[in-house]
Amino acid sequence: MPNSSRLAGANGKRRMAGRIFIWSLLLFAAFVYLTPLYVVIATSLKDLAEIRAGALLDLPHELNFSAWQAAWSNACIGVRCEGLKPYFLNSILMSVPAVILSTALGALSGFALSKFRFKGANTVFSLMLFGCFIPLQIVILPMAQTLGFLGIANSISGLILVHTIYGISFTTLFFRNYYVTIPNDLVKAATMDGAGFFQIFWRIMIPLSQPIIVVSIIWQFTQIWNEFLLGASFTTGGAQPVTVALNNLINTTTSVKQYNVDMAAALIAAAPTLLVYVVAGRYFVRGLTAGAIKG
Amino acid sequence: MATLSIENAGKSFGDTDVLKDISLSMDDGEFLVLLGASGCGKSTLLNMIAGLEKVSHGTIRVDGEVVNDVHPKDRDMAMVFQSYALYPNMSVEKNIAFGLEMRGVGRAERKAAVEEVARLLQIEHLLDRKPAQLSGGQRQRVAMGRALVRRPKIFLFDEPLSNLDAQLRVEMRTEIKRLHQTLKATMVYVTHDQIEAMTLADRIAVLKDGRIQQIGTPSEIYNTPANVYVAGFVGSPAMNFFEVTLERDGDQIGVMLPAKLKGVDTPYFLPLPAGGQYHSHIGQPVVLGLRPEMISQATTAAPEDPVITCDVDVVEPTGADTLCVIRLAGRGAKARVSPAFACEPGDSMEFALDMSRACVFDAETGMRLYG
Repeated sequence: MPNSSRLAGANGKRRMAGRIFIWSLLLFAAFVYLTPLYVVIATSLKDLAEIRAGALLDLPHELNFSAWQAAWSNACIGVRCEGLKPYFLNSILMSVPAVILSTALGALSGFALSKFRFKGANTVFSLMLFGCFIPLQIVILPMAQTLGFLGIANSISGLILVHTIYGISFTTLFFRNYYVTIPNDLVKAATMDGAGFFQIFWRIMIPLSQPIIVVSIIWQFTQIWNEFLLGASFTTGGAQPVTVALNNLINTTTSVKQYNVDMAAALIAAAPTLLVYVVAGRYFVRGLTAGAIKG
Repeated sequence: MATLSIENAGKSFGDTDVLKDISLSMDDGEFLVLLGASGCGKSTLLNMIAGLEKVSHGTIRVDGEVVNDVHPKDRDMAMVFQSYALYPNMSVEKNIAFGLEMRGVGRAERKAAVEEVARLLQIEHLLDRKPAQLSGGQRQRVAMGRALVRRPKIFLFDEPLSNLDAQLRVEMRTEIKRLHQTLKATMVYVTHDQIEAMTLADRIAVLKDGRIQQIGTPSEIYNTPANVYVAGFVGSPAMNFFEVTLERDGDQIGVMLPAKLKGVDTPYFLPLPAGGQYHSHIGQPVVLGLRPEMISQATTAAPEDPVITCDVDVVEPTGADTLCVIRLAGRGAKARVSPAFACEPGDSMEFALDMSRACVFDAETGMRLYG
């Protein structure tokens, strides 16, 4: 084993000074990043009088969840005063099917593009990759027309369709690149064994796909849940996702600006993606670095 | 049990012809080895037989029926892969039973079939394990079990032993040979290892650049190679080649071969016993091929073999034999002598050349002349 104390800069006082420098830099960076989060959480737990007192960085006097309750169930968004709850449900009804559909279709097309290579498979793949780089703003108008034509404008199903289509580019990229690392011999062996396209996909590939499925779900869920532009463009009133509702909630002012409710609403809207990260985050890193399956 | 015949089959990827005009036929129960260096097209040919690659031209027949457009699963063949290609998510039992399951065989019947194969391959105790929990040799057995359980017409092996260590490879080789003797099944086996080919095959087809160079029994391939490539590819250490000219000396036809003795080239005239057939080539350049065992100690040689004396540069003991590197016709050649007669490096010794088994090739085409 190499003797690390012999390395340059690894001895005594200079090493200590270096450590202190690095740690203080890290602490400073952590402070800069975490302070806004602290302010949001702290403010959401204060009442208006305490906020008006002006000490932004003070801890709340008591844990007061009334702002959370208001944000969830009776804050006014436009003229409706039902809080974020219905819109939160909208977002779930939109995200869950869109995530499942885009992941499933991405897996299927990634499988076809990597293991059942047909003439022009690479061209098809590069064209699909274009989808990853197209800014949403460009497709808003044609998409609005399409949704109108299909009769699902201003509906959650419309948003599911849009997010599924937009997500396929990304999920296909994930799955295709993952499946490329799985040996072709597996597919050949299954073909000789008599399995067809869907049997190989379902019985062989999907069981091997757990890491990349997690990546796809986290990525798609984060994208779709946090998406604002499409939600704002294609829905009004009751069909809006939570991101749009949050914006409207903050812009709806009655008499005084209720900072605590705004903060609580922001935290509620951000919670699901945080939850997904906490639950599945470790698979995310594992999936991103997942290499070949050793047979 | 089946016969296989391939007629003028070829394979092209775009403009490149990977396989050209392949024709061969196999009897029921025959063990054919496709032998060649990597990139010679042998695996492609195997995949074409399996149906995993389309045939660009020509026909492939099984039991006389053209199978060019028959889907792999309907060809009733099973394949063992170099990478084993076991399904990582399934237990050994499920791996072996997968083919039966896909063919709609009932649960009880599957179980019985798997158990029988597991007994044959001595992997009964592994049935519940996942492939990742197996050693290389065990994976290899499972891969063979997966092929065996379906009792296919034809078995295909794609370099099945290449990923095993040397000792296990020899063990599994014997196992495959025993399996072939028990099942008497038609088998096609791809390898780049000429010893595997020699030991396993009923017949060997040597491929190079997408063409069959020679098809024959192992002894035909070894003793009467069709050309310089086959001669050089089969045999270890490889055959020695010398660029010489066919000459006449009195009523004998032979070659002049200079041997280095005490640093000086000393020419020897080596008559070819069957020299008469080379009559029309006198004066032409040819390639003389001598396997190392055809150059041996003079002490125990047949009296009619010509004897040369030359310096020994390097001595390589291999246990059973000792290889001596000598210089003939300006290049290094290997001689195989019995360890008892081997000299020290730097000394000179007498070698007898077994010219009755020597091969003579056309210098231009590389094809063997006559015999």
